[in-house]
Amino acid sequence: MRGDAIMKKRNKRLILFLVIVITAFLFGCASVPVGDECPIVADAAAKSVSADGPGFPIFELPIPGNEGEKGYLGLSGSGTFRVGQIKARVVIIEVFSFYCPHCQRSAAQINDLYRMIEGRADLKGKIKMIGIGAKNSAYEIDAYKERYHVPFPLFPDEDMEITEKLKVKGTPTFIGVKVDGKGNQKQVYFGEGGFQDNQKFLTEIIRLSGL
Amino acid sequence: MRREQMKTPKKKAGVLCLSVLMVMAGITAAYGQSTGFTENIYPVGKLKPTDSVLKVKVGDVAPDFILPSVEGGTVFLSQYNCRKNVFISFVPAAWTPVCSDQWPGYNISKKLFDKHDATLIGITVDNIPTLYAWTRQMCNPNEKLWFPVLSDFYPHGAVASKYGVLRSDGVSERALFVINKKGIITYIDVHDINQRPFLEALAKALEAANMQ
Repeated sequence: MRGDAIMKKRNKRLILFLVIVITAFLFGCASVPVGDECPIVADAAAKSVSADGPGFPIFELPIPGNEGEKGYLGLSGSGTFRVGQIKARVVIIEVFSFYCPHCQRSAAQINDLYRMIEGRADLKGKIKMIGIGAKNSAYEIDAYKERYHVPFPLFPDEDMEITEKLKVKGTPTFIGVKVDGKGNQKQVYFGEGGFQDNQKFLTEIIRLSGL
Repeated sequence: MRREQMKTPKKKAGVLCLSVLMVMAGITAAYGQSTGFTENIYPVGKLKPTDSVLKVKVGDVAPDFILPSVEGGTVFLSQYNCRKNVFISFVPAAWTPVCSDQWPGYNISKKLFDKHDATLIGITVDNIPTLYAWTRQMCNPNEKLWFPVLSDFYPHGAVASKYGVLRSDGVSERALFVINKKGIITYIDVHDINQRPFLEALAKALEAANMQ
């Protein structure tokens, strides 16, 4: 009899525990950061293309006025430049938006990716990063940079001309481009949505670019 | 023997709990990668840029209103008189394109509002539960928008109508109003409903209001 009472008590505790776990789970799901208002569809499962993927479109970006950013990209003077002219072996482009919660949530992670690259002697100088703000003005780009302390150069794409050339459908989207600093450029990676693991992403970029 | 009998259900319970936790963890991870909310953005297509006639103009005293807030309680415009400049952002509807990517930008711009001694009020004609679900996915988990979101649901669109920004289909315009501390309207932008206003226009309007 005493054993039955103890069993009943334990069963009650078990049921209570399960109720708590399930409740916590349901609340957790409700707050999971997923899709939104980003101009395009964001998908956490990035889709990559092989090294034989589509050619990279030609477009011009303004040479940054900031000497630090200019030096990082290996550029000089003023005017415009093409991605293929960046002094690097691979350029990672993040197409983002000031207004996109996905991008806002992953800003710190992407900053970490930059620091990871800069902290590795075998990658520093070989992989560079830039951001392109889809439908964002220069003012909004500056506000985003200040808000999230973005350490790599950002460029506005107010009229979506570049975003459309890149065939980007959602933010954030990441594109890997193999470059030679002389103007040649070849797209090796295209991933819609964010990614969970910087190290895995970097390994994939290195593999696809043959770095 | 008795002790052994007692151990068996204990072990079973442990295995059961562990299994539940593992299943939950797996499902949560998969859910986190879904595009569920994105797919819930209703494609409205291209709409007539504006579809209403303003009933107020710059220089008018802003019509007062009282509306329920998503966070509970009510907010009335005149509570900010003499205290804050007010930026009112009407957006057409929850779960629609453009609207869904307008307020997240304002949500990371609090510093701009603080700089100009201003606050922001977001208004739509949706009901509170809809606004609750919609605004929750605009921020990080366990966070909420820093500004009040008000429901102009019942009587339907009464405040939007008072300002002359209620469209013929029952949603509001994508309209911006800046009201200074004296309660005077200093800026109006009934924007093309298909386009998102740029932040710099708002910054200039707030700066001008704060100088008055």
